[in-house]
Amino acid sequence: MATSVREKQTVALKRMLNFNTPPLKNAAAEPVWKVLIYDRFGQDIISPLLSVKELRDMGITLHLLLHSDRDPIPDVPAIYFLMPTEENIDRICQDLRSQLYESYFLNFISAISRSKLEDIASAALAANAVSQVTKVFDQYLNFITLEDDMFILCHQNKELISYHAINRADIQDTDMEAIMDTIVDSLFCFFVTLGAVPIIRCPRGNAAEMVAVKLDKKLRENLRDARNSLFTGDSMTAGQFSFQRPLLVLADRNMDMATPLHHTWTYQALIHDVLDFHLNRVMMEEGGGTDPSHAGARPKKKTKKTYDLTAADKFWQKHKGSPFPEVAESVQEELDAYRAQEDEVKRLKSIMGLDGEDEGAISMLSDNTAKLTSAVSSLPELLEKKRLIDLHTNVATAVLDHIKSRKLDVYFEYEEKLMSKSTIDKSLLDVIGDPDAGTPEDKMRLFLIYYITAQQVPSESDLEQYRKALLDADCDLSPLNYIKQWKAFTKMASGPANYGNSGVKPMGLFSRVMNTGSQFVMEGVKNLGLKQHNLPVTRIVDNLMEMKSQPETDDYRYFDPKMLRGSESSIPRNKNPFQEAIVFVVGGGNYIEYQNLVDYAKSKPGRKVVYGCSELFNAAQFMKQLSQLGQK
Amino acid sequence: MTCRFVYSAASAPSDMAVDITLLFKASVKTVKTRNKAIGVNVDSVKDEIFKKSRPKSGFSLRAKEVITNITKLKDFLLQHRKDYVSAGSLISTDLSRMTDSERDQIDQDAQTFMRTCSEAIKQLRSEVEKQATSAQIKEHRVAVLDLVDMYLRGVCKLYSEQRAIRVKRMVDKKRLSRLAPEHPGKVKKTAAEEPAEEKVVKEESPEKNMSEVQDSSLNLWEEGRVEDELSPEEIQMFEQENQKLVSEMNNLVDEVRQIEGKVVEISRLQEIFAEKVLQQETDIDNIHQLVVGATENVKEGNEDIREAIKNNAGFRVWILFFLVMCSFSLLFLDWYDG
Repeated sequence: MATSVREKQTVALKRMLNFNTPPLKNAAAEPVWKVLIYDRFGQDIISPLLSVKELRDMGITLHLLLHSDRDPIPDVPAIYFLMPTEENIDRICQDLRSQLYESYFLNFISAISRSKLEDIASAALAANAVSQVTKVFDQYLNFITLEDDMFILCHQNKELISYHAINRADIQDTDMEAIMDTIVDSLFCFFVTLGAVPIIRCPRGNAAEMVAVKLDKKLRENLRDARNSLFTGDSMTAGQFSFQRPLLVLADRNMDMATPLHHTWTYQALIHDVLDFHLNRVMMEEGGGTDPSHAGARPKKKTKKTYDLTAADKFWQKHKGSPFPEVAESVQEELDAYRAQEDEVKRLKSIMGLDGEDEGAISMLSDNTAKLTSAVSSLPELLEKKRLIDLHTNVATAVLDHIKSRKLDVYFEYEEKLMSKSTIDKSLLDVIGDPDAGTPEDKMRLFLIYYITAQQVPSESDLEQYRKALLDADCDLSPLNYIKQWKAFTKMASGPANYGNSGVKPMGLFSRVMNTGSQFVMEGVKNLGLKQHNLPVTRIVDNLMEMKSQPETDDYRYFDPKMLRGSESSIPRNKNPFQEAIVFVVGGGNYIEYQNLVDYAKSKPGRKVVYGCSELFNAAQFMKQLSQLGQK
Repeated sequence: MTCRFVYSAASAPSDMAVDITLLFKASVKTVKTRNKAIGVNVDSVKDEIFKKSRPKSGFSLRAKEVITNITKLKDFLLQHRKDYVSAGSLISTDLSRMTDSERDQIDQDAQTFMRTCSEAIKQLRSEVEKQATSAQIKEHRVAVLDLVDMYLRGVCKLYSEQRAIRVKRMVDKKRLSRLAPEHPGKVKKTAAEEPAEEKVVKEESPEKNMSEVQDSSLNLWEEGRVEDELSPEEIQMFEQENQKLVSEMNNLVDEVRQIEGKVVEISRLQEIFAEKVLQQETDIDNIHQLVVGATENVKEGNEDIREAIKNNAGFRVWILFFLVMCSFSLLFLDWYDG
């Protein structure tokens, strides 16, 4: 896959916006204007990939939600991009009846059924608008790509396929079927966009297995149907002759419950954990939160600010996986570089002023003109750089405030030690009892990690002690019930997960005070570095890609949709190590696993790993789901 | 009864989406037959004929007109671009060469055309402002005009690039052509270098002028020799004067060309600055409004404070009066009792 999934999806979207013809490379082509109508699913898919400016460049003058009030704009073609649900179809029929636009290009995110197509047809007939419906397409784009190598299934109705929905005690078969169908549909769209048929491996006995069986069946049916197959011609002429097929590893959240609760130390994962971060967009409150307001003064309004962290932001791309102190340093460096450039431009201004009086030399004038032109043309770049630096300064400051107030570095260190089973110097009770170290949620997370990673279940008296301490700290104990159940269940199934055995070495326990010119004073925050260690998911992927024989992955099932007979054997026929892998976690994932996989892929050159999950949650949301499960 | 229509799933190799338009049309036919079977009254035929005459708003027609004009300009520029920019080699035929007057003509025409187009866009914009249509339609129209504007700017860039290349080429040629020696004595060399120069600078008229001037000077000199009336010193003096004049003219022409190039660059810069200044204008307006509002508020605040002071003073007076009355009444009672 020379082009990443994100590029493929972007290309598909751009083609769709160009009336499903490939966009011309002509620099000055005639503008054709159109209107884009989407529902919430379509909005989530488009917003991480295309900015409003790019939409404008493609000729989209208005972009509107399907279920909003729309005025008729009589002579403009309209492009619809939505899911084929009942209400959307009804709204389309309504639009056709009220004749809002001149021509309609309908694009459905996943395949539309014949009966719904007939509904639209009858509405079009009734409104005499059949000739206006110019094209109807199935786009097969039912997934959201957040990064070059990360995708999630959906953001809108994620409660339907959340961890809670899959694992709750009172789930019915029909519900489970529906959830599996949704997941399989999205995965199928993903592989259609990718243009490759994978080899599927999954563990036995949980939701991942069900997904694998269904996906295998769907892919097989599609491949058999030679006339309408979506895969013929793609893998051959796609330009990149990848003779190897990718490996799809289906993992289940139940294999590794500690990672979503873990406190983290890398930039992107911290932002997700601590701030409000959805679909590559950070929402923060700014304003006079920290200044004490004197009596009588009007309280400063807190403004909400949103920042987009996109692929074009080079600083973000470079540093989203680095540990936080490095990020702070780099922001400082960028700021210094920017100031140097600014001074350069200012110096130019003074030179210009001086030499304006010298008349004789035309050549000097031409030199100055050239310099001025270059300075003026570099101004937009400088402004853009300044904006990015401001953005990252604000975001990093906010994160730092959270770290300081909740002492997240302490938690991180402790949990790393727990997960790597090295010796711990402070006892758990001390940390829980410490009143100003973190919110009750943090303490609960710490305790759950302890419980999950303990080799044997702590005795009842210990448990009572911990329970009392937690209750004193105002923690909610219902997740604990669920985790107890889970632990008992997994103990029966297999041994406890091993989290790797390398620890964290704090790089000097002295507080790192930066010089007064900087804005990041990280007093009292330990400067911790990250050592490379592999989470369970990463280890499983490693084993499967290299065909190593390990006890935990040996009895994984093996599916190959291209084989003629659906075999039940779990003997892989392919003996070569895989170069590309797609990891999909059923039940939810988060940025810590993603970062771990990225680091793993970087360490093995030539490997590409794409990470996907059914939903993306941070620890707070996961805790909420666990407490809901524990209350049953 | 639905027939199975064969539809092409993917025509282009990278086309992932499935075109189900034919499937849709098949469903339309199905529904039509179903309706006929049920007996639903569908009077589609009549209305379809009349439906086509949906009113096309004047706005989009005019915008499309502007676009076709700009496209015409672009095609015109691209068509003549090769000739315009060509340096002209030794073997080039006369047909493809353009005289300078033709080039100037193209420049003039292009500029007037661009001006009229931008005028038209401005007019459309003001109309959109005035018309009271819904917010969505207004936004749409403004965005459409922005797109047209960007297209016009792209085409203008084409034109200015061409022109910059032309000016630069002339300046370079001018610099090359200054290899001509300026000593009057070295006539033979002049004669030898003349044809060389002519090879290099065949196109440009000033060079032609120069060679012509040198030609005429040569002729004069020859004539002078034949006539034998003018003394060699006078001939030399004339030669020197001629050479001086020629070099002065060359300098002037040189400077003029350079200045022209600079002016083109400066005009580009000017455009950028004008854009920025216009942007700042709106900001300054906002600031002005805010400042006016702030002064109003401060004035009102002052008034309020004055009133408060007055009230305070009045209040104090009343308290004082009340206390004095109380003390008098106490004294009175005391006197009455005693």
